[in-house]
Amino acid sequence: MPEFESVIGLETHIQLNTQTKIFCGCKADSWEDLPNTNICPVCTGLPGVLPTLNNAVVTKAVLLALAVQVDSVQPKSYFARKNYFYPDLPKGYQISQYDEPLALGGFIDLPLPDGSVRRVTIEKLHLEEDAGKTVRQVGERWIDFNRCGVPLLEMVTGPDLRTADEAAQYLIRLRQLLRWLGISDADMERGQLRCDANVSIRPVGSDDLNTKTEIKNVNSIENVRSAIEAEIKRQIREVQSGGRIEAWTLDWDEDKSTLHKMRSKESEADYRYFREPDLLPVLIDQDWLEQMRDALPELPLERKERFIETYALPEYDSEILTEERTLSEYFERTVQAFIGDPKVVSNWMMNDLLRLIRERGTTAGKLIIQPEHLAELIAMVEAKTITASTGKELLDKVEHSGLTPEAIVKAEGLGQVSDEGKLRSLAVEIIETNPDQVATYTGGKTTILGWFVGQMMKETRGKANAQLVQKIFRELLEKS
Amino acid sequence: MNEALCDLSALEIARRVKSGENSAVQVLESTLDRIRNVEGNSPSTASYTFDPADLEKIHAYITVTKDRARVQAEQVDRAIEEGQDPGPLAGVPLAVKDIFCVRDTPSTAGSRILENFISPYSATPVERLEAAGAVTVGKVNLDEFTFGSSNESSAFLPPVGNPWNAAHVPGGSSGGSAAAVAAGEAVISIGTDTAGSIRQPAAFCGVVGMKPTYGRVSRYGLIAFASSLDCPGPIARNTTDVALALQVMAGSDPHDATAAEVPVPDYVSLLEGGVEGLRIGLSPDYFKLKFPDPETGEIREQSIDPDAQRAVQHAAEIFARAGAEIVEDVPMPNTHYGIPVYFVISRVEAASNLHRYDGVKYGYRYDGEVEDLRQLYRITRARGFGPQVKLRILMGMYVSAEQYEKGYYDKALRVRTLIRRDFLEAFDPQGRYKLDCLLTATTPTSAFEIGSVYGDSVLMQYADLLTVSANHAGNPGLSVPAGLDEKGLPIGIQFLGPDFSEGTLLRIGRTYEMRTEHEPWRAVKPKVLQGLG
Repeated sequence: MPEFESVIGLETHIQLNTQTKIFCGCKADSWEDLPNTNICPVCTGLPGVLPTLNNAVVTKAVLLALAVQVDSVQPKSYFARKNYFYPDLPKGYQISQYDEPLALGGFIDLPLPDGSVRRVTIEKLHLEEDAGKTVRQVGERWIDFNRCGVPLLEMVTGPDLRTADEAAQYLIRLRQLLRWLGISDADMERGQLRCDANVSIRPVGSDDLNTKTEIKNVNSIENVRSAIEAEIKRQIREVQSGGRIEAWTLDWDEDKSTLHKMRSKESEADYRYFREPDLLPVLIDQDWLEQMRDALPELPLERKERFIETYALPEYDSEILTEERTLSEYFERTVQAFIGDPKVVSNWMMNDLLRLIRERGTTAGKLIIQPEHLAELIAMVEAKTITASTGKELLDKVEHSGLTPEAIVKAEGLGQVSDEGKLRSLAVEIIETNPDQVATYTGGKTTILGWFVGQMMKETRGKANAQLVQKIFRELLEKS
Repeated sequence: MNEALCDLSALEIARRVKSGENSAVQVLESTLDRIRNVEGNSPSTASYTFDPADLEKIHAYITVTKDRARVQAEQVDRAIEEGQDPGPLAGVPLAVKDIFCVRDTPSTAGSRILENFISPYSATPVERLEAAGAVTVGKVNLDEFTFGSSNESSAFLPPVGNPWNAAHVPGGSSGGSAAAVAAGEAVISIGTDTAGSIRQPAAFCGVVGMKPTYGRVSRYGLIAFASSLDCPGPIARNTTDVALALQVMAGSDPHDATAAEVPVPDYVSLLEGGVEGLRIGLSPDYFKLKFPDPETGEIREQSIDPDAQRAVQHAAEIFARAGAEIVEDVPMPNTHYGIPVYFVISRVEAASNLHRYDGVKYGYRYDGEVEDLRQLYRITRARGFGPQVKLRILMGMYVSAEQYEKGYYDKALRVRTLIRRDFLEAFDPQGRYKLDCLLTATTPTSAFEIGSVYGDSVLMQYADLLTVSANHAGNPGLSVPAGLDEKGLPIGIQFLGPDFSEGTLLRIGRTYEMRTEHEPWRAVKPKVLQGLG
């Protein structure tokens, strides 16, 4: 039996986060809105209505096209009609780009765990409108048109992925990129990023593209991984038992973690595509395109490399700090304000700031505590004006109150106590009130010194300079 | 015969209403009176039994929006009392082809499938006409979804009669519009022209009809037939009123991406400019019809009616005398492809445009037991659509199927480009002909009898042979009445001009009107009006 490798291509549908829908003025995002509340004559396909293109959709799509370094953003692309009957498709056709899509070619590089990079080619990017949603009740279908006309960008990869893990990695990188560019919230659970996977297998070493199956309706990255894994296993079983792979369309049942056959490819409808006569071609001005290219932000992988080089960060740190764009910007601003070792800033951010971000369910860019505050706070810890544990608490206090760290330290008297005279008289008191522990120490068990330091910390609510306290106790106890 | 208020021109009505000489309500009452006198049985979708009396009457209105109209007329009158200007069409009675959505009115497209559809919004051009003071009297009949040239395919019967002889068709698909205007049941009407659907009925009913440049008037709210060909336009009894209405309707629209951003000239002020120095062309390809024999497919040739030929020659002489230069023998070699190309393009687009009528959201839905969704679609569409619609859907589905698409639709689009090239060359200011317009007959024949052609959809389509090219090419065309034939039926002549030359075409039409003012046929009234006091 030969060994098999799998060949995977992904078709993703990206919901662009424009204010309004692609062809009318209705609100695009209907998450948690009541059914049929964001609708109008245009998106419900009343007789006589016409679509008009929302230019923000084109701008956002072009941003992604440039970010994946497409071979070309087509100077002229067209919309077509994809004709089919379905109750949640109110016009009886979906307006979608078809033979002349917005952009062609391009790639996304995936760093693999072994240090190599998998280049995933992008075949095309095209714009289309979403259909509505059908909810099946017993013997009834309820239709919600809110989603009709929500802008989607379809991006199709070449058959370049080799494992279910790589497919998952691709989606993670794509999601990161979409959020980085600010063009989609890319939440798979909310349908903002949808993925169909084309899967086939072949003996290792072969270059053939064999008959593939298409897995639809998978709504999380974990499920994409599981569904592809299950399908690869099924195909291998099928071939090993002498069977043949047929071009099925499969549906992933999340509850049972199994695949169902939806239909054979042969029975697929003829959509009778033709150019949409109600819309003009999408014209891309070359000067505008160059402006867009210039305005493209540094991308996550570039920034990660730069952080490693510029700030001498370990790769692990750099990866985490560039996971999300505002986090990476937060880091740079903090480093600039801190004027010290960037690794110290990195430690604070990875341990404490990320905890704060997760607890608050927010992003770095939306925190109340500013990079300048964080820098000030770290500087106080470094200068031993406050203790590290005070610093951690201070983070929350700044976020909660909006005051500067310095103001809070002053107002609450959180400054570290390094006044030797004051600490010495406190130490004398502690020694006088605890003769048993003193006897233990003088009896030779000097490790009890820590206990004395602890008592001091209690007295000073943690603000005492620990090294100084140790020195004082050691001197006093040696004498007694 | 005393002219009733409803027989006055739009220009005169607006003048009188604004000056307080007559109220908008009075004009409306006069129009409603006329409707009572000439309409006869109202068209309905109930099963139709032929009544010979129907051949005497017009039956133009599917819906008379009396109450809504009265509110509008009163608003116009109130505005005038308060010293405001209600607009250039103050109090002018308007008939809207029932292919336009008008807020709170049944908007049926002449089809059973939309019989109970009340539109929640108004079409842009209708909204603009109403905003200019026009009073919508009602929604007028048409071929079902505009698919026809005679009005006989409407689900609402009896069919519209031609005011000049109600046993003859008014033409189509804007037959209700042309008939209503000719009979004084409205002063202006808004129609649509996809292959000649404004110009052909205007010619048949002896009124003026303009198909503007594609994109000149917004299509928003026009229930689509063939989206790349459909043009809304005005119908009225003279060129001045057409100019007035077009002025109001035209212009860009944020709801229609294909509506042109070209500024709208003041058509009315351009009207009296004459034709001195204009180059007006005649083409042999518009005197002889070429068409494939329905049996053998061989190309046959046939001359247009001699009366129509004479009307065109007569007009050419008039223009020559008025200082225009007549250019003969202008080749328009691709004209005869107009109808076959139209068959393909219009049906592909129509089949797609009709997808939305599935009984799910609005309009007719079969309410009996069904096994599944597919059966609901099938029975709803089988019962909701008439035979002409089904024919078009079938053909549209067939030629756009994956295996035929390249052979039909793509090829038709290429031929369409050739047809446009004919016009571009004729109108090219640096070219050989440098035409300002092409002068042709509007139709090969005058209005035929009801029942004589209906059923032969190929023959019926050839009524549009002289008009359809402008729909392919997108350029404007104006049809004006040019006399009566030996049967006493109107003949129309047509001016075809370059893109956005509506102003010039109206000027040419107005010149023709003035120069033929005293010809005897101008005094003849449509038969349905003879004997009315």
